[in-house]
Amino acid sequence: MKSALSAMFVLATACSTALAQPDAAPRAPGIESSGYVWNQPDPDKDAALAHRPDIEQGKIAYEICQGCHQSDGSGRADAIYPSLAGQHASVLIKQMMDVRAGRRDNPKMHPFVGEWVVSVEEVANIAAYLNQLPISLDNGKGSGNRLERGRELYENDCASCHGKNGEGNATEFYPLVAHQHYAYLYKEAVMIRDGERRNANPKMVIFIRDYSNEDLKAVSDYMSRLTLPAGTRQP
Amino acid sequence: MKHSRMIAAAACAGLLLAASSASAEVVGDLERGKAVAAEVCVACHGADGNSPVPMFPKLAGQHADYALKQLQEFASARRQSDIMKPIVEGLSARDMADAAVFFASQQPSPGQVDDPSMLETGRRVFNEGNPDQGVPACAGCHGQNGVGNARYPRLAGQHPTYVLDQMQQFADGRRTNDKRLMQTIASRLGETETRAVAEYIASLEASK
Repeated sequence: MKSALSAMFVLATACSTALAQPDAAPRAPGIESSGYVWNQPDPDKDAALAHRPDIEQGKIAYEICQGCHQSDGSGRADAIYPSLAGQHASVLIKQMMDVRAGRRDNPKMHPFVGEWVVSVEEVANIAAYLNQLPISLDNGKGSGNRLERGRELYENDCASCHGKNGEGNATEFYPLVAHQHYAYLYKEAVMIRDGERRNANPKMVIFIRDYSNEDLKAVSDYMSRLTLPAGTRQP
Repeated sequence: MKHSRMIAAAACAGLLLAASSASAEVVGDLERGKAVAAEVCVACHGADGNSPVPMFPKLAGQHADYALKQLQEFASARRQSDIMKPIVEGLSARDMADAAVFFASQQPSPGQVDDPSMLETGRRVFNEGNPDQGVPACAGCHGQNGVGNARYPRLAGQHPTYVLDQMQQFADGRRTNDKRLMQTIASRLGETETRAVAEYIASLEASK
């Protein structure tokens, strides 16, 4: 019964891991660098975008994510984990690959989206799985105190890209913002305005450059309350 | 398809073992597996995989895919253990698969909670993680009841001493066969929360 150690296992010793610190996230050039081009081609991102996704495999690969983003993709308002359910797959792929490459700084998430954890194909599968989940409607909202100001700002500066109803644009990699958690929208908006979200679109930075925190709160609150009319969801 | 082959293998064994709980992926022979366990594993892990020693893990009910992966990685030293290495060197690939399928078919015994006062904290960490520290909920991968799946091990009812030892090994980089996921989590989670979650895991219903 007990045979000698098989050659297979001897070979496998070559694969033993001696990797870097778990928390060491890379830092790639972003909006602070001269010559920054938003959403420029990237081999991993482009391969994921080209992959024909498998939603069932995406559900399995998503297990790694659901300890924070929840099994229904609704995220957590209190922990500022964004809602992902129903988000455009292109947006999800771009953001995952930006975190992975260090264009978007997220040291908490980085160890869970590294290439040693999820393959390019799995990133695409996860994105497709999340995209077809129903959008969670009980997202966190703001105070509701300045919604009229929020609407004015949104319609003037945001709707041309993110859509009248906050539906975003899959082709353009513009995220769905309707039903997103207020706390997440506000936190990211501040970071984008202040140059701390290094994968931001410079066009957006120009739009909100002069926004006060109060205005960012008002527009984030307004966005968090947007709803998509039936039939407007893009596939 | 694989499942039916496994059932067929179990039926050939002709024993009154719970064949249906074995993995759908790993194909093994329950009768041979029982013999391997009785000869090689029994002293530390118990004849049915319910280890009597808190330092050594319970294997009863563990997913065969996970158990087999660990055995293979002890052999390759991808998972380093001075205790397990010489033992698995005496096992063939078939022995490993058979033992993994046998232990998967066994009924886990209830866990032993040492400090019930920690259970509430443990429950919170297990189900919600620690967002400030970037720790995901354990339940995300290991399931709300800690029963795991083919990719993530069953935890329910495990000895707290063993869980703590593994968390320490992940945290200080002695155990590295985890795609760095548990290394990240263990290094972010504080000592009290780690202890609490080990107690909570012990309290989780061990039966399948």
